[in-house]
Amino acid sequence: MTKYFQSFLVGLQSNLVYRWNFGVRSLFWFFHLVVVFILWGAAFATSPSIGGYSFAQTLTYFVVIFVLQFFIGAFNEDYQISEDIRNGLINQFLLKPINYFAYRLSVFAAARVVSGVFGFLALLLALPFFRAYLDFPHDAWRFFLAVPAMAMTAIIQFSIAYIFGLLAFWFLDIQGFVILSMAIENLLGGQMMPLDLLPHPIFNIVRFLPFFYQAYFPASIITGRQGLDFAVQGLAIQAFWAFALVCLAEFVWLRGLRHHTAAGG
Amino acid sequence: MFRGDLFIWSVVELLWISVNVAVIFVIYSHTKTVAGWSQYEMLLLVGTSMLIQRFLMGFFWSGIFEMGRNIRSGLFDFTLAQPGDPLFMASTRKLELDGLLNSFVAAALVAYSAWRLGIHPGPGAIAIYLCMLACGVIIHYSALVMAMSLAFWITSSQGVEGSYFTLMEFSRLPREAFGRLASIIFVWILPVVVVSNGPARELLRGFEPWWALGLFAAAMGWFAIAVFMFRSGLRRYTSASS
Repeated sequence: MTKYFQSFLVGLQSNLVYRWNFGVRSLFWFFHLVVVFILWGAAFATSPSIGGYSFAQTLTYFVVIFVLQFFIGAFNEDYQISEDIRNGLINQFLLKPINYFAYRLSVFAAARVVSGVFGFLALLLALPFFRAYLDFPHDAWRFFLAVPAMAMTAIIQFSIAYIFGLLAFWFLDIQGFVILSMAIENLLGGQMMPLDLLPHPIFNIVRFLPFFYQAYFPASIITGRQGLDFAVQGLAIQAFWAFALVCLAEFVWLRGLRHHTAAGG
Repeated sequence: MFRGDLFIWSVVELLWISVNVAVIFVIYSHTKTVAGWSQYEMLLLVGTSMLIQRFLMGFFWSGIFEMGRNIRSGLFDFTLAQPGDPLFMASTRKLELDGLLNSFVAAALVAYSAWRLGIHPGPGAIAIYLCMLACGVIIHYSALVMAMSLAFWITSSQGVEGSYFTLMEFSRLPREAFGRLASIIFVWILPVVVVSNGPARELLRGFEPWWALGLFAAAMGWFAIAVFMFRSGLRRYTSASS
């Protein structure tokens, strides 16, 4: 475990080198919140309730999504992994007693610490503008269920990014696949709108997909958009997807290694 | 040459357009108007915004995106060694057919929305619309150049290109949705709203000279700022290669 903790520390240092990138990113995520505020504010101007929720509850949902993305969302891990493969840097991991998935997870955790701090700072700056509109539920059980939900969301997000990064074993450029998954995740992950606004038949299909658990699920627990029964069922489905995606990641890694040629010495 | 790449990117861009249209349909399934704009007026606005973005993605995105990465890695030296203006050489290095192909999809969305609204613009109106779109492309291009030029100062532009996409989200909102403070920042100071609202209003409400002149002035002004920022950054650039 010491080697992975060292990887975490190295990841922390390397992410702090690019702290301005995180700073700029968190600043522009604040602008994204402003877009949400303006769009949904205009929609709620003629309807006091949309999908059974008020403007304050809807805005609270997007603020939570914003915070979650900085603390547990995958960002650039797929590109970093694909760069390791393309540049041959992956070879050093093949020769050493270190698990590449665990190594990358350590670096991911370090990056989330750094981005989480910057996201939190951006939220503190934005809070005076939004505080009056925040509306959180007061059920204690939500905190106890939100913590494991967020942890599994992090694993799901990372595993999906990891799998896409490993596509570099087969493809020269994975950017198209990454942007494709981003589009799907943005819609089916609940980043563009709360998924409970979808028609019921579509919602009942989407809730069994892994994207549902990438952002919407923990946010729905925290903001009160779903009840206890739904949350417990959701945790079970989320645990399945976390396990399945980790297994899939290992499978893709082993298949990719068969395809990989390490040239040079 | 890379047919698979073209197919993937075409699907990606089509999916992004579909996602944005789906959000509009979901919102309007719960409300009749947003800031006084009906569903098809909003779709026309979103289609206009996407049309501008598709042109930018097709003609300039790859080159400028790569420029940011090359500045960090030192490969930008090869652009500087070429006999031409560095910004021009970097911007026009690649042409992305997938973006240009999906511009037809965005144009079809605009045309369909106009048809549902009973709008039948004449050749003059379409010509003015296209000119205003061109101004929009210039503003988008300038915003992207400014975002990627940050790489001259912050070591790496990785992730900074997201700032461009975040700012351009405002171009999918109607002007009337903005309150007083938001109007000052996002309508008058940053031209992220007029970029798409100008051409869309021209189709919806007819030619309004002040919108056209304002958009043209914003395009020229922001292009000047982008070039200035790029050249300032270029003076700081030191090659990372031997």
